[in-house]
Amino acid sequence: MSAAGTSASSAVSLVPPDQAPLLARPYYAGGAPSPIVGALAHVPELLGVTMAFVGAALGESFVSARLKEIAILRASAVLGCHYCVQTHTVVALDEGLDRAEVRALCGEEPAQDAFGEDRERALVGWVQELAGQRGPLDDDVQRRMTGCFSEPEIVELTVVATATIMLNRFCTALGLPVSDATHARLRAEGLA
Amino acid sequence: MTSTAEAIEDGVLGARLWFYSNYHCNLTCTYCLTESAPGVPRRELSAPAIVAAAEEAAEMGFTAFGITGGEPFLREDLTRIVARLASIAPTLILSNATVFNARRLRELAALEGLPVQVQISLDRPDPDVNDEMRGPGNFAKVIDAIPKLLERGIGVRIATTVDDPETADPVEMERLCELHRSLGVPDCDHVVRPIIRRGRASGGDLGRGVAFEDFEPELTITADGAFSTPFGPTVTGGRLDTDLLVTRTTSPLRRPAAALMQIAGEQSAGQDARIGIR
Ligand code: SF4
Repeated sequence: MSAAGTSASSAVSLVPPDQAPLLARPYYAGGAPSPIVGALAHVPELLGVTMAFVGAALGESFVSARLKEIAILRASAVLGCHYCVQTHTVVALDEGLDRAEVRALCGEEPAQDAFGEDRERALVGWVQELAGQRGPLDDDVQRRMTGCFSEPEIVELTVVATATIMLNRFCTALGLPVSDATHARLRAEGLA
Repeated sequence: MTSTAEAIEDGVLGARLWFYSNYHCNLTCTYCLTESAPGVPRRELSAPAIVAAAEEAAEMGFTAFGITGGEPFLREDLTRIVARLASIAPTLILSNATVFNARRLRELAALEGLPVQVQISLDRPDPDVNDEMRGPGNFAKVIDAIPKLLERGIGVRIATTVDDPETADPVEMERLCELHRSLGVPDCDHVVRPIIRRGRASGGDLGRGVAFEDFEPELTITADGAFSTPFGPTVTGGRLDTDLLVTRTTSPLRRPAAALMQIAGEQSAGQDARIGIR
């Protein structure tokens, strides 16, 4: 499915390059953009601010990309977002997570078992709680997290996880199609 | 002075705020940018939305209004809307001038003394050729309407749309000018503009293709959002074109105005080769 198309279950079409609104044009400079951009382009005034936020939250920062991808992939799997799980499986592999780790994050509990480090085990359990439970987080889960991470790290990882949850519901509600490039990569990795 | 007023003064933004009052029309012209026709979705802007935007626009520094469509005068409340807008700033309405029956002409009394102009489409000096693109009987209705509007103190401008103004037959153009002068419309109120290859004109090789840079940025409010020019919110193949969409948000007006100023400001200097189609 190209970014200019629509899958059978999509709630919206993706804005094609020749219809890209003025504020969206920079995102179309290289041709059809990601499905998230193609959908947001329907409301161009939201595109710049959303992508800036998502970029700042999920992009390079003082927290390692590996930790961020653990949080993103686990939250996406718990929320059952097909689009984000597929897309971030590829990103997680690129960030050095191995297949067993990726499979564990995408699969059923207990995903922590695939991780040896305390910090990563604590993070997986905490994201699971954050994404999967209503109300306050379990005290033990919180304690493990605060024992392993600094306050700035916890704040950053909270933004990563909650921004991911927003994207999970956005992509799922709109039925966004996974891009051709992601499909091709997953096939090549034997993960399709 | 507001930033919008400064942008208008600096020529970054046009001083006229445009409204698409509705998209339906009694005609079905071959080159219509909006694929207007009697049965199309009306996409009407509500009267309160138009008036609220106009009031905000005046505070921001806009100094004129324009109303286009579709055929604006098909709306029953159009004259009341125009009266309100023209009490704020000079108002131009683009019309095909074929719907001025006795009742509508009577209603125009509400505009007496207000700065109102109607811009009427008249493409050729001969009825048969004119009506080829605009429909049977169009020419006669227009010729009939112009003096009646002028008699009522309504200003009239003539807009002539041709495939390419530079190659238009000068003899035919002169005959057209003689005609509008004879009807009481001076040369300064006659504009000649090219067919724009959008909407119903996009299928063939009529007119010229255009880009953002070809138009002076003029904030244009529609029921579907704000656009960068009144030539932007066109309909092609039944679908609204969004390549000249600025924002979906139209209220508060300062939001699309700020976005358009940002876009226009990012244009590189020297891109002033615009089409004279105001
Ligand atoms: S060009 Fe004007 S008069 Fe002709 S169909 Fe379109 S809106 Fe109506």
